[in-house]
Amino acid sequence: MEQIMEQMPVVLHSLNIGFIQTLKLFFVTLIGAFPLGLLMSIGSTSRIKPLSWFIKLLIWIIRGTPLMIQLLIIYYFPGLVLHNPIWGGGETGRFLAASFSFILNYSCYFSEIYRGGIQGVPVGQEEAGLVLGMTKTQIFFKIKLLQVIKRIVPPMSNEIITLVKDTSLARIIALQEIIWAGQAFMKGSQGISGAIWPLFFTAVYYLIFNGILTLLLGRLEKKLDYFR
Amino acid sequence: MKRKMISMFLAAAMVVSVTASVFAAEESDKAYVQDKGTLVIGITDFAPMDYKEEGSDEWVGFDADMAKAFGKSLGVEVEFVEIDWDNKIMELDGKTIDCVWNGMTLTDEVTSSMECSNAYCKNAQVVVVPSDKAEEYQDTDSLSGLTFAVEAGSAGEAEVSNLGLEYTPVKAQADALMEVSAYTSDAAVIDLLMAAAMIGEGTGYEGLTHTVELNSEEYGVGFRKGSDLAEALNEFFVTSYEDGSMMECAEKYGVQDAVVEQK
Amino acid sequence: MAILEVEHICKSFNRTEILKDISFSLEKGQVLSIIGSSGSGKTTLLRCLNFLEQPDRGVIRVGGETLFDSEDSSTQKESAIRKKRLHFGMVFQSFNLFPQYTALENVMLARELLAREQKDYKNRKKDIQEEIRIQAEGLLEQMGLSNRKENYPHQLSGGQCQRVAIARALALSPDILCFDEPTSALDPELTGEVLKVIKELADKKTTMLIVTHEMAFARDVANQVIFMDDGSILEQGDPIQVFQHPREERTKQFLSRYTQ
Repeated sequence: MEQIMEQMPVVLHSLNIGFIQTLKLFFVTLIGAFPLGLLMSIGSTSRIKPLSWFIKLLIWIIRGTPLMIQLLIIYYFPGLVLHNPIWGGGETGRFLAASFSFILNYSCYFSEIYRGGIQGVPVGQEEAGLVLGMTKTQIFFKIKLLQVIKRIVPPMSNEIITLVKDTSLARIIALQEIIWAGQAFMKGSQGISGAIWPLFFTAVYYLIFNGILTLLLGRLEKKLDYFR
Repeated sequence: MKRKMISMFLAAAMVVSVTASVFAAEESDKAYVQDKGTLVIGITDFAPMDYKEEGSDEWVGFDADMAKAFGKSLGVEVEFVEIDWDNKIMELDGKTIDCVWNGMTLTDEVTSSMECSNAYCKNAQVVVVPSDKAEEYQDTDSLSGLTFAVEAGSAGEAEVSNLGLEYTPVKAQADALMEVSAYTSDAAVIDLLMAAAMIGEGTGYEGLTHTVELNSEEYGVGFRKGSDLAEALNEFFVTSYEDGSMMECAEKYGVQDAVVEQK
Repeated sequence: MAILEVEHICKSFNRTEILKDISFSLEKGQVLSIIGSSGSGKTTLLRCLNFLEQPDRGVIRVGGETLFDSEDSSTQKESAIRKKRLHFGMVFQSFNLFPQYTALENVMLARELLAREQKDYKNRKKDIQEEIRIQAEGLLEQMGLSNRKENYPHQLSGGQCQRVAIARALALSPDILCFDEPTSALDPELTGEVLKVIKELADKKTTMLIVTHEMAFARDVANQVIFMDDGSILEQGDPIQVFQHPREERTKQFLSRYTQ
């Protein structure tokens, strides 16, 4: 116990650095995948057939394969096969490759959620807007958007919580997120080895962060509860 | 499952890259590194070879210090990157790192897939058991009947399987130690240098000790297949062995007894 | 002079003819009821008038102005359709109220959006909004919903929702108000309140076109009745004639099913 108290500052320092990587990847993914997912959902229902086929194929591949394989291929393929390591070997390169993979992966999941949300709004809503002389843009922003948001918040919340935990997969291309940081003390790092308790601490970080997210998303859901 | 996926991907990637490298124009790896100005060194956190002192952000250790000196001799910066040990060959071939310099045992698998330097450090695979049982297990014959934990794909795994012992492959040497201290396995086989640093008095595994040496082996540095940097490093090793700087560095990290003479 | 003139409207979906050469006219201040069995094309006809569907052939004129002519492509511009729709109001079978707005906001929304296109909107914003609010409150009062104006649609009964929808359509002061089976989605005990409101509108000389299955109501409120069957107008005339002395065998069959 005494030993743990002594090691605590070192471990927490490491975990904090790892957690910042986790958070960075989490937010970058959301910022990228929210709009890209919307574009993809519009594209997949586009009248330009080759575009919609391409996007549907992409969604099928990305949703049908593990994110871990996507990370490995996206990071190593350019250097291994094309002999052009576009991402670079440093921390920045690994982060960029991880962000790219996560944004691509999550956009595909989000696009399906958006599609479901948009298609879930009854056709009568658009028709009622049209006969009242509204433009398509007004109908989207004034009538449909909020109804779409209400529909997508619950499935989106699930994906967001999953994303928090999925960020740990980036460890496969040696992005040093919080689990990497916690596990380092098992193997031996900064004079501390064979310590499993830092790993329990990483779990606490996840729990707290997911707790806050669940709370916020729950509030948003409740806020939209005023209509049906 | 994960391991299987990775090794399948690795195998596929290697087939592609071997085929591709036949067509790729041969060029000097040394010139490539000097041209970009950085030597990227793939490592894991592994005291006393590559590690960080408490509260410091700088990589130190016998390997790290020697790597810095080698970089200086090439006139390039060195950048240390922590990698997943499973992916070291992919990292090299994909040029995301330029060398693996991390107390790497020169096994057949390593020498066939990388361009390796001469051996610079001696090592052995040792059996780790709880200290209170150490008396019973002082020779190879006494080991039958024990269940072992060994790092999958490691030299230790090769040794126990040669001896026909029962074992569980785990992800890392540290996990093997964890198995023994949690009594989920009777014994582990790990590197001597690692055992010296990680178990016994004043470490996280005070209740463990090492007994039988199953083999002796050597550490080397790995480069991309066909790289001329291996030769450059051999020359550098000779120079620094002769002028005493290599031994000086080894003494700093307590590995002077293991250093192999360079000539 | 007729305010609405419809000539030779034809419409097919996937080679199935839904409307076959429909022509009729409607005088200002009069009520026209369209009856007929399901699938006879009544709803499609209303949707064509509101430009939710484009007829394959025919002409639609309101107050002498040609809104649509299949022979004249200048009347089919996508950009002009929005303004043309404003000649018609539409009350749907399933209300189609906007769930995220209160009853009052539902009535005000469309007029507010239209007002933004006025040149002096920015300067007179407060006045215009006040004006729209007063009008909307007046309409809800007329519908007997003064005490419900702050409620959201899911807090209202079906009959109340439909009355809000009627107020919403009236807010844009359309020339002709169309009803697409306005009571079909309601519980029987709630139809009365909606029919009463429509009756009051008829008494105020609101020009209306009502597709309905309520035969007694159609007879009481309409000045003119059209019986549609299989995409054509089979019989047309004043209610007494159509309901009491139908000429066609098909009309008799249809009516007998409803009066039994």
